[in-house]
Amino acid sequence: MSTTFLPCGVYHQNYAQEHGWWQTRFIKAKMILLFVVLFVGIPFGADSYWLSVYNQVGYTILGALGVQLLIGFCGQVTLGHAAFLAVGAYTSTLLILEFPWPQLLIKWGLAYPLSIIIAAVMSGICSVLFGLPSARVKGFYLILTTMAAQFIIVDFIITQYVSQIGGRGQAFSLPPGTIKVGPWVIDNDLKVYYMMIVLVILCVTIVVNLLRSRAGRAWVAIRDNDISAEVMGINVVKYKLLAFFVAGFIGGIAGAFWISNLAAISPEHFPWFWSLWLVGVILIGGVGSIHGTIFGSIFMVVVMELLQLGIMPLADTYPKLLMDFLFIKEAAFGLAICAFMIFEPYGLAYRWGQIKNYFNLWPFSY
Amino acid sequence: MELFFMTLTTGIMVGGIYALVALGWVLIYKCSGALNLAMGEMTLIGAYVSLSFYSMGVPFLLALLFSLVIGFALGVLTERIFLDRLIGEPVLTVIMVTVGLSFFFKGTVEFLWGTDTRVFDPPVFSIEPIRIGPLVIGQVYLWSFVAAIILLCVFVCFFKYTRWGLAMQATADDEMAALSVGVSARYVYAAAWAIAFMAAGVGGTLLGNINGLNISVGYLGLLVLPAVVLGGLNSIPGAIVGGIIIGILQNFCGAYLDRYFPGGVKEIAPFAFMAVFLLFKPYGLWGWERIERV
Repeated sequence: MSTTFLPCGVYHQNYAQEHGWWQTRFIKAKMILLFVVLFVGIPFGADSYWLSVYNQVGYTILGALGVQLLIGFCGQVTLGHAAFLAVGAYTSTLLILEFPWPQLLIKWGLAYPLSIIIAAVMSGICSVLFGLPSARVKGFYLILTTMAAQFIIVDFIITQYVSQIGGRGQAFSLPPGTIKVGPWVIDNDLKVYYMMIVLVILCVTIVVNLLRSRAGRAWVAIRDNDISAEVMGINVVKYKLLAFFVAGFIGGIAGAFWISNLAAISPEHFPWFWSLWLVGVILIGGVGSIHGTIFGSIFMVVVMELLQLGIMPLADTYPKLLMDFLFIKEAAFGLAICAFMIFEPYGLAYRWGQIKNYFNLWPFSY
Repeated sequence: MELFFMTLTTGIMVGGIYALVALGWVLIYKCSGALNLAMGEMTLIGAYVSLSFYSMGVPFLLALLFSLVIGFALGVLTERIFLDRLIGEPVLTVIMVTVGLSFFFKGTVEFLWGTDTRVFDPPVFSIEPIRIGPLVIGQVYLWSFVAAIILLCVFVCFFKYTRWGLAMQATADDEMAALSVGVSARYVYAAAWAIAFMAAGVGGTLLGNINGLNISVGYLGLLVLPAVVLGGLNSIPGAIVGGIIIGILQNFCGAYLDRYFPGGVKEIAPFAFMAVFLLFKPYGLWGWERIERV
């Protein structure tokens, strides 16, 4: 991985500076500009189609963040993360639909926010449950147990049992007005967007700060070599399970957030494909980098939309292309992963770091 | 009691097919140390190719042979285009390339052949069941099992008695040593992928004969993963035994547990069993236990 150098002539003089989030004034200005764009520019500059695309990006970031934590920072390869998103989504939905909330909480619009927290804890616990084998197995064997999580939770428990609760058949629909944060009823893309951006910033902040803490250093040690980590006195099992919990927790938030956009959920929203997709996102973005998660999500979602836009004009002559676009998308995604792994194995974040270094070190780039 | 024996025989027969697919999987793992997650899609491709030939009027055995040839070619091609550049890269990279390949294959299959269930028409094996004593076995199962066993024997003999097979074993055992005595690892990898593709294709064709062919047959191809893990990742006899155990287990769960847990017990039982099994025996039945040092 690349280290980002500070620009020429910038030095740290104390620890507080070195641990600072935004280390130079220029970076601070950049970040403030980014926030302005995120909170003001995009919502008022985009039409509802692009807003829904951005929401998709946000959902992918939230989903991939947990995968990034597990694979990129703790070295626990997981191929079943969609299961924990599903647990979050279903817990939140069931709480909203079936739980006898006190009238006061519904009036204040606290039911949904509270259900998000409960859903997150719930999927964190599920995640730990399926992370338990990681105490004994690793590598391929762990991949297979996490795959088991996907098949057991989504294809069996949720499809066969959970989605039958209340006799609704397969799909749960959330009546309009039930998803309410405080006084705001989340009913259009703009509100979903604001909720998304707040959640993404919150989760990214949590993860980044965790990575700067003792737990984060322990995770990285486990990733690099779990035996030497154990020798150094890190409780490997505890920190592995903690990683699974945090990843599941964020997955639960992602799932519970996404029901505000869907208004109806069914097990088909969380296929195994989606688990693999999330892993693909972090691979394309760059393993072991929070930037990578974000870049990968943006790349995957936006590029796929652009692909669709590119195919649109051809639709008249080749109707099959548009009809089977889903399959083309799948194949293109597969090829993209292969190409990235072969030609750009460190992902987009690495390239981004190099570009930044080029400017930071200019004109003395040697 | 009759149900018990019926389930057992069906389990063994389906397990034979799983063993065949699992064989290809173990082979790739043994040679290149990578987990091939595209196995399910490889079974799909082989199955669809032979189905296409068969519906064009080619006799079944010939269609199967064609699918073997195409499987061989595709295997070599895949290895040359995608995996050849990755020799020496971290294992996660290789695994993720196979994930990418699985998406690519799946998308291509869906694009070319659609998502509707297709059947071998006219049926290859007659519907009339065979009776052996009290047992009633569908001909599809019986002949599939026979075919799977024959191919398994062929492959195992190939490893034991031919030069190429020995070279593959040598590479699996110690890549460096094999290279230094003049075994070309690149050819061995290509051969491993080709054989895996061929075995998966035959397995897919046989599975497609049983219940018709659609995307979910690829999921059946994934069922070999528990089988392989059960046997231990790098053991060919383990793959065969594991395949048969998973077949039996799956059918027993379908027969006995379905009334308590309605729905897809049959599909998830192998995975659930595997997850619990790994807690007690982390390296499967005959897997190599890795001794690690810092």
